[in-house]
Amino acid sequence: MTPSLSSRRQFLQRTGMGMGSLGLSSLLGDLNAGDRSLNPLAPGKTHFPARAKRVIHIFANGGPSQVDSFDYKPALAKYHGKEVPGGGLRTERKTGTLMASPFNFSQHGECGLWASDLFPKVSAMADDLCVINSMYANVPNHEPSLMLMNTGAERTSLVRPSMGSWINYGLGTENENLPGFVSLCPGGVPIVETQNWRSAFLPGAYQGTHIDTKSTTIAKLIPDIKNARMPRDLQRKQLDLIQEMNRQDAEANGVDSNMEARIHSLELAYKMQIEATDAFNVEREPQHIRELYGDTLHGRQMLITRRLIERGVRFVQVWHGAGQPWDSHAEIAKNHGRLGNEADQPIAALLQDLKQRGLLEDTLVIWGGEFGRTPTVELPTPGANAANTKLGRDHNHHGFTMWMAGGGTKGGLQYGKTDEFGFQAVENKMHVHDLHATILYLLGFNHEKLTYRYAGRDFRLTDVHGEVFHDLFA
Amino acid sequence: MPSSSPILLATGFAITALLVSPFSLRGNEEGKGASPQFEASQITFFETNIRPVLEQNCLECHSGVKAKTGLQLNSRQGWLRGSDYRKVVDPAAPDKSVLIKAVHQTGEKDIPSMPKDGNKLSEQEITDLTTWIAMGLPWPDEEVEVPDDPTQHWSFQPVAPPEVPANAGHPVDYFIRKAQQNAGVTAAPKADRATLYRRVHFDLLGLPPKFEEQQKFVNDPRPDREAWPALIDHLMASPHYGERWARHWMDVARYSDTKGYEAGGRERRFVYSYTYRDWLIRAFNEDIPYDQFILYQLAAEQLVNWEGKDKHHLAALGFITLSKNGQQELIVDDRLDTTFRGMMALTVACARCHDHKFDPIPTKEYYGLYSVFQNSLKEEQPTIGEPVEGPAYDKYLKELAEKQKVIDDFLEPKLAKIAEEFPDLANRRIQLMAKLERADRRELQNKQRVVDKFVADAKMEPDKALVVVDNENPGQQAVFIRGNPGRRGEIAPRQFLSIASQGEPKKFEKGSGRLEMAQEIANKDNPLTARNIVNRVWMWHFGEGIVRSIDDFGITGEKPDHPELLDWLAHWFVDNGWSIKGLHHLILTSETWQQQSQNENHESNLVADAENRLLWVFPKKRLELEQMRDAILDVSGNLSNEMYGRTVKILEPPYSNRRSVYAFIDRQNLNPVFRNFDFSNPQETSAKRPSTTIPMQALFTMNSDFIQNQAAILAEKAQKQEDGIAYLHKQVFGRTPTESDQILADSFLTAFESDAKGRTRQTNTEWSYGYGHIDKEAGVTFTPLPHWTGERWQIAKEHPLKDDPRSYLYADEGGLHPGFTAKESFIYQWEAPDDMTADISGVVRRSSVNKGNGVRVQIANDKGKVFKDVIMEASRGTLPMDLNGIQIAKGDRIFFIVDPHKNNSSFDSVHWSPQIIDRSGAWPKWGLAEDFSGPATPANAWSAYAHALLNTNRFLFVE
Repeated sequence: MTPSLSSRRQFLQRTGMGMGSLGLSSLLGDLNAGDRSLNPLAPGKTHFPARAKRVIHIFANGGPSQVDSFDYKPALAKYHGKEVPGGGLRTERKTGTLMASPFNFSQHGECGLWASDLFPKVSAMADDLCVINSMYANVPNHEPSLMLMNTGAERTSLVRPSMGSWINYGLGTENENLPGFVSLCPGGVPIVETQNWRSAFLPGAYQGTHIDTKSTTIAKLIPDIKNARMPRDLQRKQLDLIQEMNRQDAEANGVDSNMEARIHSLELAYKMQIEATDAFNVEREPQHIRELYGDTLHGRQMLITRRLIERGVRFVQVWHGAGQPWDSHAEIAKNHGRLGNEADQPIAALLQDLKQRGLLEDTLVIWGGEFGRTPTVELPTPGANAANTKLGRDHNHHGFTMWMAGGGTKGGLQYGKTDEFGFQAVENKMHVHDLHATILYLLGFNHEKLTYRYAGRDFRLTDVHGEVFHDLFA
Repeated sequence: MPSSSPILLATGFAITALLVSPFSLRGNEEGKGASPQFEASQITFFETNIRPVLEQNCLECHSGVKAKTGLQLNSRQGWLRGSDYRKVVDPAAPDKSVLIKAVHQTGEKDIPSMPKDGNKLSEQEITDLTTWIAMGLPWPDEEVEVPDDPTQHWSFQPVAPPEVPANAGHPVDYFIRKAQQNAGVTAAPKADRATLYRRVHFDLLGLPPKFEEQQKFVNDPRPDREAWPALIDHLMASPHYGERWARHWMDVARYSDTKGYEAGGRERRFVYSYTYRDWLIRAFNEDIPYDQFILYQLAAEQLVNWEGKDKHHLAALGFITLSKNGQQELIVDDRLDTTFRGMMALTVACARCHDHKFDPIPTKEYYGLYSVFQNSLKEEQPTIGEPVEGPAYDKYLKELAEKQKVIDDFLEPKLAKIAEEFPDLANRRIQLMAKLERADRRELQNKQRVVDKFVADAKMEPDKALVVVDNENPGQQAVFIRGNPGRRGEIAPRQFLSIASQGEPKKFEKGSGRLEMAQEIANKDNPLTARNIVNRVWMWHFGEGIVRSIDDFGITGEKPDHPELLDWLAHWFVDNGWSIKGLHHLILTSETWQQQSQNENHESNLVADAENRLLWVFPKKRLELEQMRDAILDVSGNLSNEMYGRTVKILEPPYSNRRSVYAFIDRQNLNPVFRNFDFSNPQETSAKRPSTTIPMQALFTMNSDFIQNQAAILAEKAQKQEDGIAYLHKQVFGRTPTESDQILADSFLTAFESDAKGRTRQTNTEWSYGYGHIDKEAGVTFTPLPHWTGERWQIAKEHPLKDDPRSYLYADEGGLHPGFTAKESFIYQWEAPDDMTADISGVVRRSSVNKGNGVRVQIANDKGKVFKDVIMEASRGTLPMDLNGIQIAKGDRIFFIVDPHKNNSSFDSVHWSPQIIDRSGAWPKWGLAEDFSGPATPANAWSAYAHALLNTNRFLFVE
């Protein structure tokens, strides 16, 4: 299926382009039912029944270390300070000997997941997590790896739509009062910036809306969401005038589907002014829920995430922060420790909260970075990290960990393996393309068939790659 | 060229898998392009003894487009083609075949042992394979038959204009009418003069008509056949024409003022991108013949005198140089793609990794063209504008020199030191630079960034062109196997595409071959070039092309809806000196273009042609972003006539009043509003802008400051007129108001004024923020807080205000503090806009639990009713304040009161964001935090009316 704008033909035949006889109100009803030629965000059809209806992608940008979190490697302690037997792998910078994790590992849940005390509260939900230890990507650099994770094409100069745009193109939105794809990032933007959520050659309606969750002024979150000059009742009067003129013109000159669509979208926009802002106001949550998430920046942004998902936003991407916060080239104990501390409770709260509301069943939660980190210690490079020469880890795309939860994935599963030291994925290796194919499958799409015709080619998120990993499904 | 003969296409993938070239179909080993016939027994042998072995051992890695080393063992063609590096089987000597050696696992050099993972094949299996190869690899027919030789595809044939009978009337109408008659579809009648005037004005100039000028045309006593062509010529002579039509081509040229992502804070702006835009505006206004237009954009530096009068044409090379940054091979690919998709509607970039799947473009030809751009990467910035002089410029130069000196002082000693170490590199600066240490390079980058930013910000330099020049000694280009620069294949000679050549493709011999390539594109015999541009111009007039896949005339693209018309137009266009204005004139004088945007036979027409491919009605079009913004400025009387020059930001304050074509386009971080309004994606060449309708567009037109500012200015002008409403309608719609318009306007203005009158609210929402107390006699006294800081309301600029019981009073988005005593209790006031049954909810939160003495919280109304009155003790952190189903009348005021309790306001910071929900759902819910706002700008009925007109379909659509 290509849920493109091509259903226009059927639409025109069904309703008649001039549709004087049909009248406005019935058409407005129709628009809600969804014609994608007029409303690109109308709900789309899946290829087969979906297990997940929406996605939360928690992006630990910068590259969290797998061997310090969810990929337990006792051999690291044993070989601490020794060379990697047989030699290390290519990384961005020079690394030295193996380094034991400064974090303590223990088993969690009935499934007995080995996880460190970096994420104690998330680990306590081990039986809901589907941990993939065998992820791999192509190169050990942030920019291409971010692009790969978000768009399926690693070169920054290739212009491909982001995963969230693809998913919105496929599924449309359940709530037109809000953008279908929201990217929450506190304090600015990640590296490679807005490319992370662009729609590229897909229509602009599918682009991600970036919201800086550090700002707490609701009106500033979405541009033009409020009218600073017009009281609501007077704005309603104004809108009534506009719509009356539109209606009279339509009667006189024949109705046009694009004009009708605009009439509809004016009404939506009017409602959106309130509905959209409401989603960002976590003060509306009861105290016990706010305490669950914690009164912190990350707690707030995870709570906003749930409010958005609950209101029908299809794809919410939550970034840890601007730039590349998880990029702990130095002092991994201190830096990862701080980041884990920031992220742990809010993420665990999100999972719990989704679960208690029955939302986790059809909401796919994904956690991970663009790659992982080396089990070896990073050696100092003059200029770059000369000041902090100790106990950090370099980028590692050969093997890293991501986890999923809900949305039809199998909880309590630990899937795939890296080598003895957690350097390279060796068993059930899952490439980022495979992850994309698997996510689309959970959403009800055959990744090879969710395509968009552009420049003489049918493009897709997975390009010419991608396998669906059925073992991960409940 | 061979005649049309069916060929077989293996899995629709590699046309040339078997073939030396797609054009020598008869010369291949298979005879006439069909696969050889095999005995049934041979096929059985394959199915029984071979296919299972392949399935089990080979195909996991060696099939489809992901096949390792490109070796596809899932089709006979794949076997014969071999890997990306070599043949793997030789039916004449099966034993010596690479593949057989591989499965024998001989361990010879360069022969991998196969299968890689898994057991070695049995001796029997290897013998079977060898036998099968010796048989000539029998394989059943599984291929997809392609009906036609791709070289016979319509767009690759010479343009063949049909005859138009002498008495046929307008040629465009002749072809369209013929198609309509065949389908039983009837065209709409001609639109009236006023409609046409508005339509053509937006079409050619991108601007709304002026009422008086429109009337002049409407009342022109000459017949249409004289008055209309005269009008077209008149409008095309306006300099605004170039501003409109340059923007169309800027979509094709993926115009941007930034390069794309640059790490490490490096400067992203092109300092001189605007000179290309200015060149385009002039080129359209001067109607430079389109073949010249192409030549300049691809090779101007070889066509003009860099010091001469025509040096301004150098800026045309922006078509090449304004590409996206990134890896070199992708820059080259982008330039190729933009050139061929933009100028020939050919998706050559598909041949980057493998022979084009569908179109007859071999990878080798792609890399031949790649070589042209690869050998023209060197950039220069010749000055084309007037030299700048004067003290300001001298000051700028001095500062620039100082900044440059910082770099030199840093760099030169380091280079000198390296030169000592490597004396033979002493005069080779580039090589010396390459030996800089990483940290030094980074430092240099930081220093360079400062200079680049300074130059870009200063805007002092004279106009310069961004040009490329050919390599003096052009290098050979090898094919990148599967698009991977690390895997070199055979050398690709620089030459033109076979498919677009009459006879042998032209070999490029001069320099990079770029000029020769340009000449081949601009060649009148090129089958694609003229068709491409007439189709695009047609689309810019009608909204859809004659070929709807605007940038893909290949096999997978659409066929022309009117092939004869397309060829006739293409031929006519070239014959008429490649004049774009001539083409406009031709199209706009057709009845097809002048017909109405509604058709009384639409029901029956729809059945025959639901997509209006036969053009039986003129499509209504929403104004594009630029048209809309320019029109808003224009009808408000604020549009600047200034042409050319450096960019302006149009969506951020202070809002520029220049035309949108001068907007700063940020490729990397384009303001989302652009794409919300279907603006082209500046990352790549664009064909047709999408046409979507989403609420984000309406939010912009309803709420943006830019539009409301313009509406206010327009309204102010209207109010000075004798008949303000007529004035507004003339300005905005180019016509006088109808009786019904008049009635609507009067009733709106009256109702709005009466509603707004006497409204002395502090803010423009239903909420006010203030203080007071509940008085047993007088009810609630309420005084709004007078001072707004930009973020919070408080008692005065000074906070806390010295020696005043109100000193700590404030309100921001949900947070508040009361004054010292009950008399200065904090109060939110909400005024009901309607009768309703409402639910109120919200939680009061104290930030300092166990400190102070708590607060007293109340909800009351202005009629003396107290709904709730609760003392919140010091120990209490939260307190829900909910009310269900209270009756509210229009104009009622509800008060949310925080009393410091016993006149002790220490530690009384409170958070409270009440929410009010109208049970009927007629009103969206109210929330204190969601609605929080600053002071009201008095609502003005006339501004609101003017703003409403700018939001109507009548204004935003062209019929």
